[in-house]
Amino acid sequence: MPHIICCVKQVLDPETPASQFKVDEAAKKVLPAPGIAPVPSQFDTIAVEAALRVRDAVGDTSITIVSMGPDSYRDVIKHCLAMGADEGVHINDPALYEADHWLTAQALAAAIKKLPPVDIIICGRQAVDWDMGVVGSTIAELLGLPCVTIAKDIRYANNKVTVERVLLDGFETVEAPIPCLITVSNELGEPRYPQLRQIMMAARKEVQVWKAGDLGLDSPSNRVVLEKLYVPQTKVETEFIDGDTPEEKAEKLALRLREAKLI
Amino acid sequence: MAPSTEFPGNIFYALLFFAALAFFFYSVGVRFRLLARAQAVNRFTEPIKRAIGLVPFVLGNSRVARPYYWYSGLLHTLIFWGFIVLQVRTLNFLLNGVHEDASLQNLLGDVYTWLRPSMDAFNALVIVGVGMAAWQRFVWRPQRLTLNYDAWIILGLIAWLMVTDVMLNSGEIALERGGKDYTSFIAFGLANLWDRIGFSGTGLELFHVAFWYAHLVDFLVFLCYLPYSKHSHILTSVPNVAFRSLQPSGVLQPIGDFEKAESFGAGKLEQFNWKQLLDAYTCTECGRCTEACPASATGKVLSPKQVIVDIRHLMEEQIPPLAPWTKRPEQPTPLIDGVGFEPIWDCVTCGACMYECPVFIEHVPTIMDMRRYLVMEQANMPETAQATLMQLEQRGHPWRGAQLTRTTWIEELAAQSVEVPIFDGSQEYLYWVGCTGALQERNVKVTIALVRLLLEAGVNFGVLGAEEGCSGDPARRLGNEYLYQMQAQANIDTFKAKGVKKVIANCPHCFNIIKHEYPQLDGRFEVIHHTELLAQLMAEGKLQPQAGNGLKQKSITYHDPCYIARHNDLLEEPRQVVEATGAKLLEMGRCRRRTFCCGAGGAHMWVEENRGQRINHARTEEAAGTGADIIAVACPFCLQMFEEGVGSVAAAADREMQVLDVAELLEMSVALGQPAAEASTEPPIGESAT
Repeated sequence: MPHIICCVKQVLDPETPASQFKVDEAAKKVLPAPGIAPVPSQFDTIAVEAALRVRDAVGDTSITIVSMGPDSYRDVIKHCLAMGADEGVHINDPALYEADHWLTAQALAAAIKKLPPVDIIICGRQAVDWDMGVVGSTIAELLGLPCVTIAKDIRYANNKVTVERVLLDGFETVEAPIPCLITVSNELGEPRYPQLRQIMMAARKEVQVWKAGDLGLDSPSNRVVLEKLYVPQTKVETEFIDGDTPEEKAEKLALRLREAKLI
Repeated sequence: MAPSTEFPGNIFYALLFFAALAFFFYSVGVRFRLLARAQAVNRFTEPIKRAIGLVPFVLGNSRVARPYYWYSGLLHTLIFWGFIVLQVRTLNFLLNGVHEDASLQNLLGDVYTWLRPSMDAFNALVIVGVGMAAWQRFVWRPQRLTLNYDAWIILGLIAWLMVTDVMLNSGEIALERGGKDYTSFIAFGLANLWDRIGFSGTGLELFHVAFWYAHLVDFLVFLCYLPYSKHSHILTSVPNVAFRSLQPSGVLQPIGDFEKAESFGAGKLEQFNWKQLLDAYTCTECGRCTEACPASATGKVLSPKQVIVDIRHLMEEQIPPLAPWTKRPEQPTPLIDGVGFEPIWDCVTCGACMYECPVFIEHVPTIMDMRRYLVMEQANMPETAQATLMQLEQRGHPWRGAQLTRTTWIEELAAQSVEVPIFDGSQEYLYWVGCTGALQERNVKVTIALVRLLLEAGVNFGVLGAEEGCSGDPARRLGNEYLYQMQAQANIDTFKAKGVKKVIANCPHCFNIIKHEYPQLDGRFEVIHHTELLAQLMAEGKLQPQAGNGLKQKSITYHDPCYIARHNDLLEEPRQVVEATGAKLLEMGRCRRRTFCCGAGGAHMWVEENRGQRINHARTEEAAGTGADIIAVACPFCLQMFEEGVGSVAAAADREMQVLDVAELLEMSVALGQPAAEASTEPPIGESAT
C-alpha cells in the first residue's frame, strides 16, 4: 500500500486586513491580529488534495500529515484529517517554535524517517506567510530524494510518478522514481471540502505528538539570522491635472508623465 | 329504481363496485407505504388551529382563488363546490344502487329536496368550470401549466360525470314522476322534453339504464384513476393543509443529534419526512410556485414545481408496476440525480413558491434537505459556495478579503466623538450589527445612520464589537447545518453570558434566524428589526422626521426583503418610515408578501450566479420601472445587490437612481431638525448624484 506524507503549516491569515497587520520591530516578531484566527497554508491543503487524488486514482493508499508548530497547529492537522488523510503527527516543542527553514526541514525529515517507509512526500510550493519556498526541497536534500517542484498534476503508477510541472511559459511533464518529494502549486486545483462524517471522525482521531528529542534533535538551532523586521512604508501622492478640454488634460498628463520619466 | 337492485344487475353492480374499491385502496396503500417508511415529523400539534385552517384554505379555496389568479380560482371553486354538493347525490346514487329504499332521499326527506336545485345548478356550474379549464389549457395556455393528457382525462371524466348525472336523473323523472321533481330543474326540464318529443317506454328505460351505468363506471374509473394522476390532490390536499407547517415560512428544521443521525439531509426519498412526500402527491402542477420563483424567472434551471414533480416520479418508480411490461430501473434513481444538482443550488430560499402554493407544499425545506445532503454527505457544491463555507469556518464571517474589522466603524465614530456603547448587560437592547453591517464599507454607513438614530432617540443599547460572530444564516442556507449550529451556539452562549434579552437586528437574515431558529437551540430572545423599532420610535415621538431635506421632491420605491416581508410579515413599518421622510412612495408590481428576491437570499450573496439574467438586474429593472428616484431597502444584502444593479442596469443608471437603507433615509429627515453637529454623514439627496 503506497504511503504518502504531506507536510502542512499553519499561517497568519493572509486575508488579515492591512490595518490589522502589525510587527514588533524590537522583538522582530509579527504580532497576531486580535480576533483573527490562523489558517492552513493554502498550498499545503493543496498538497493534501494532491495526495487524496492519488488515492482516488490508485485506491488503497495511506496518507500521513506531518506538521510542526505550537498547539494551534492541531487545527490544521485535524482539517487535513477531515479532508481524508489517515494519520496525523504533530511536532510540538517550544524549542522548535522559532525554527528557520533549515531547522524546520531537519525536524520534518527526521519525522518522515521515523514514520513507516514513504513513497511520495508532498509539500506546498511555499508557505503563504514567509513565501520562502525552500523547506520542501531541503527535506528532499536531507533525505537524499529526488525532488519535483511546482506540480499541477501527479500520477502514480508502476513505482514511479509522472508529474506535470508549471513553468513560466507553459507546462512540462517529468517522471521520477519513488520515493520522491513533490511540491504542488495552486494550478492543481481547489482543496476539497471535508464531508461532515469525516470532520466528526477526524475530531475523534488521535494525533501523535513528538518532541525534538523524539526526533534526535538534541540541540536544535537556526542557521538564518533575522536582521530586521518591518512593514515597508508606502507613500501615495495624488496630483490632479487640470485643463479646459479633455484634449488639453490629456496633453498635460502626457507631458507630466514624460517629465516624471514614466513614458 | 336503479337497474342494479334486481338480478343480475345487483351482481354486476357489486362486482364493479367492490373491484374498483379494492383497486383504489390497493393503489392508495402502496403509496401510503412510502410515506410510512419516511422520517417522522410531528404535525399533530395545535389540532384546533389545523382544523380551523381547513375552512378558508380548503372549503373557502382562499389560496387557490387569489385575485391575481381569479380565473383559475373561479373555475376551481366551481368544480370544487360542485364536488362537495354533488357528493350528496353520489351517495344517494350508490345507496340507491344497493336497494330501492336505501337512499338519502328517503333518509333526509325534505332536506334532500331542498338540496336538489343546488345540485342541478352545480351540474351546470361544474360544466362551466370544466369549460373554463379547457379554455385555459387549450386556448390560453399560460406557461406555468404542464399541458399533458392527464388533465384532459380528468376534465373529460368530470364533464361526463355531470352529463350522465343529469341524463340519468331526467330518465328517472320521466319514468317515475314524483311530487317535487321540479326542484331538480335541469333534469326536470329534460324529462318534460322527453315527454314532449314522445320519448318513452322501453327506449326511455334503456336510455336510463345506459346512463345509470355510464355514471357508475365514470365515477369508479375516476376514483381508480386518481392515485395515478396529479389530481390525487383531491385525496391529499385536505391532509396536506391540515398537516401544514405552522411555523413562519422562513424557518428550517434542525438536525437533532449529529452523532446518531442516519443521514445529514436527504439523499434518498425515505430520508425526507412523510409530509414532504405527501407534498409530492398533493402537487397539481398549477405552476404558481415556478411563476413566482426568481431563479426560474431569470433563466436558471430551478423550477420549484419540477422539483416536487420529480420527487413524485421517483416515488412512483418505487411502486410495483401495474402492467407486467412496465419497466422499472433495477436500482432506484438516486434522489439527487432525479432532481438535479443545479435546481438544488439555484434556490435563494425566498419562499415565493411556498407563499403561492394553494396547498401548502414546502418547497424550500425540501430543497434545503437535498442541499444539506450534497454539502454534508458529499461535499458536492458550486466552487463559490465551498469558498464561502471555508471562509465562514476560518474567519467567522462570509466577506472574503474584507479590509474592515468588526470594530472599525466604532473607532470611526469615536474619532467623531460619538461613543458607541459596548453591551455589558445593563442596556435594554443588544444591537446586533451583523457581518455585513460591520465589514462592508457601504453597509457601515447604514450601521452608523442607525446608531445615530438610536442615540438620538435615547434608546438604551449596546453592541458586541469584536465579540460578535456570524449569525450562522449563510452556513445554514448553504446546507452546512453543523457549522451553523456551532456558530449559533457560540452566539447563544455569548448572549446568555452577557444577559441579552432584546436584540435589534438590521439584517433580516440575522433577524429571522435569531428570532425563529435560535429557539431550536434553546436561545430565546426578543428580536426587533430596525424598521420596526424606527417606526415605533417615530410613533412615540422620540424621532421626529421633518418632511423635507430634499426628499419631498423625491419618489421612493421600497423593496420588501423576503426575510422580513414574506417570511415575517413586516410590511407596514418600513413604509411608515419611508413615508415619514416626505417622499412619494411608489410600489413595484411585486411587493409586500409577493416581493421578488434581490438575488442574495439563501447565502446567494456569495454564490456565483452564472446562468440566465442576474436576479438583481431583473429586480432593478422593475424598480426603475416605477420611475422612482430612490430604491429604499431594509436589508444589507438587498443594498449590495441594488448598488450593483443601479450601476449595471441602463434604465436605472441613466436616471442615476440611488439605493438607500430605510435608516439612512430617516436619518436625513431627522437630522434636519437637529444642530449641525448631528447632521447626516450622507450628502443630501440630489447633490450626491453629481
